[in-house]
Amino acid sequence: MPSLFVSGMNHLTAPVGVREQLALEEERIREILVDLYRRGLFAEVMILLTCNRVEVYGVAEAPGEARQAAWGRLGAPRGLSLGDIEPLVYTKTEEEAVRHAFRVASSLDSMLVGEPQILGQVKEAFALAQSASTVGPLLHSLMAQAFGVAKAVRTETEVGRHAVSVSFAAVELGRKIFEGLDGISVLLVGAGEMAELAARHLVEHGARAVHVTNRTWSRAEELARHLGGTAVPFDELYPVMATVDIVITSTAASAPIIRAADVERALRARRARPLFFVDIGVPRNVEPAVNDLDNAFCYDIDDLRAVVESNLRERQREAQRAEALVAREVERFAARRRDLEVVPTIVSLKDKLETLRRAELDKALGRLPHADDETRRVMEALSQAIVNKILHAPVVKLRDSSRAGHGHRFTELISELFGLRGAGPSRERP
Amino acid sequence: MNAVLYDVALTAYIVATGSFLVYLVGRREGFWRFGALMTQAGWVCHTVALVVRGIELGRPPLLTLPEAVSVVIWAAVLLELWAERQYRVKVLGAFVLPVVLILGLALPTGLRALVLGSGIRSAWIWIHVVLALLGLGALVLNFAGAVMYVLQERQLKARRPGAVYYRLPPLETLDRLTYRALTLGFPCLTAGLLLGALWGSAAVGRSLTFDPLTILSVVMWIVYAMTLSGRAVGAWRGRRAAYFAILGFCALLLSLGAGALFQGRHGA
Repeated sequence: MPSLFVSGMNHLTAPVGVREQLALEEERIREILVDLYRRGLFAEVMILLTCNRVEVYGVAEAPGEARQAAWGRLGAPRGLSLGDIEPLVYTKTEEEAVRHAFRVASSLDSMLVGEPQILGQVKEAFALAQSASTVGPLLHSLMAQAFGVAKAVRTETEVGRHAVSVSFAAVELGRKIFEGLDGISVLLVGAGEMAELAARHLVEHGARAVHVTNRTWSRAEELARHLGGTAVPFDELYPVMATVDIVITSTAASAPIIRAADVERALRARRARPLFFVDIGVPRNVEPAVNDLDNAFCYDIDDLRAVVESNLRERQREAQRAEALVAREVERFAARRRDLEVVPTIVSLKDKLETLRRAELDKALGRLPHADDETRRVMEALSQAIVNKILHAPVVKLRDSSRAGHGHRFTELISELFGLRGAGPSRERP
Repeated sequence: MNAVLYDVALTAYIVATGSFLVYLVGRREGFWRFGALMTQAGWVCHTVALVVRGIELGRPPLLTLPEAVSVVIWAAVLLELWAERQYRVKVLGAFVLPVVLILGLALPTGLRALVLGSGIRSAWIWIHVVLALLGLGALVLNFAGAVMYVLQERQLKARRPGAVYYRLPPLETLDRLTYRALTLGFPCLTAGLLLGALWGSAAVGRSLTFDPLTILSVVMWIVYAMTLSGRAVGAWRGRRAAYFAILGFCALLLSLGAGALFQGRHGA
């Protein structure tokens, strides 16, 4: 029986110097897939390529041979020999391969746990293999379930929910202060790259009206154009502050340019609506005392980093919950696969008995040309009932044995006893 | 029959509280769903119990302290169910239901029952009591929202996110929720108290009586009135409003306690 395996390298096992040499374009991958499949080494195969991993998912009668052929083909274009590659590769089979596939798709195996891109990359890899016609029922059901697991991990745990970059942390904090970011207005003071990025994220998440101010007017205008906002003269800083919700500062000033006393006045004009300062400047642009004012929240770069660190810890905690979910799904996949093992036998057994029943019934009815409808109905029901009674015990036995993990013993036995041709796992691979 | 139903309702509230608290800590969706289900089931039993009790008594079941408390928590649970959906604050139950339980379990036991003499009943008294109790129910929500606000605000000010940060909703949502509960509860309470005073003057001939319940009610009313007007003026939002909501609720609990311990106009 062919076995399922995954063989691959990732950011932990292989240096980027090797991984980048295996990064082939889509057309080359398609050629390799088709070639491996045609040579009969793989019953099913797909290749996953991302910046952090190169993985071959396969179903093969001789996994070792198939794996070597795959790596040989992948390394060939850049002259990497099997000897260069093999020490960097991990191989997992059967249940461990299933677990690996689920973990990868759910982003539990990623360098940054919970990052969202990997699922799309797995889907693309699968689509490529599908279009090359190198996937069959097993990889198909594996991937279909992997996508489901990834979705469940996303919705049922918070593994990907919290910001892990400083600029995104600003967005997340904004969401914890304001009720969503729709219609929120932003004031950008200065022109640091990270500050611009944070402003951009805020706009992407619904913030409208970005005001940009800078000591250099032309720079303010340029940045405002970039962000689709408006430039504001630097000396109108406080009047504008009274109307916005989030202030992002990032200037090279050597002393704070935003002082608590002035902020207090601005706050009064805001009728106590909260005001959120994101201070990315070093040295800081906002006086620390601002955070002590009622309804003002001020986060400097260290605070934002602390938020990110705390979020990373939170992701790790959530990842443990996700692992439990994955474990359950691996078990379900195994159970389904075991069921698939006996299904062909059950189907042909039912077919066989049904054919017999039909034939014998027709024969009997042929001998009773004057039988009325009632008689015909009774005979039909009688034959059906006998067949069902006979089928019941073997079908139950088959299902039970497959769940207990030795379905093949009974599929062979029953095929033999009932003279079923070509039934069993060898005819139709699960 | 209605006693059994009321016990069933309280038990459901206890289970719901536990479930909500587990949800608050562990954030497993299932616990929240179960808690919400138990809350709804409890509330339905509670409603039936109140109706049955009313039929048995031949009057609305509002006049003794246990009856009044029962109606307050009935209103509080109803409002919690509504606000949870309206503001999408799933952790609300974990803050409202413990208060409901404390009121429901601790207050009536061991305290003297307040029974109004049959001589001082009139149509007005029912409206007075119903409005006051509904108002109190809304103020339970106001209090729970304020507690959540204060916790989240402290966490955000501290700038080091912890358990609270991840679990509680945004500040503005909480501010809106507390404010809404107050605008719902305060007019009811005002009308209730006002009717009480009017009815009192009509029935007894004096417009104000100075039993502890009345005095504390007035104190409580002033605290809430200040919170509302402060907000209307524009200065009192967020933390200050939340502190006053907590203060007002303490006055509320004191009034209820005092009403039970001392017998004044509202006593037997």
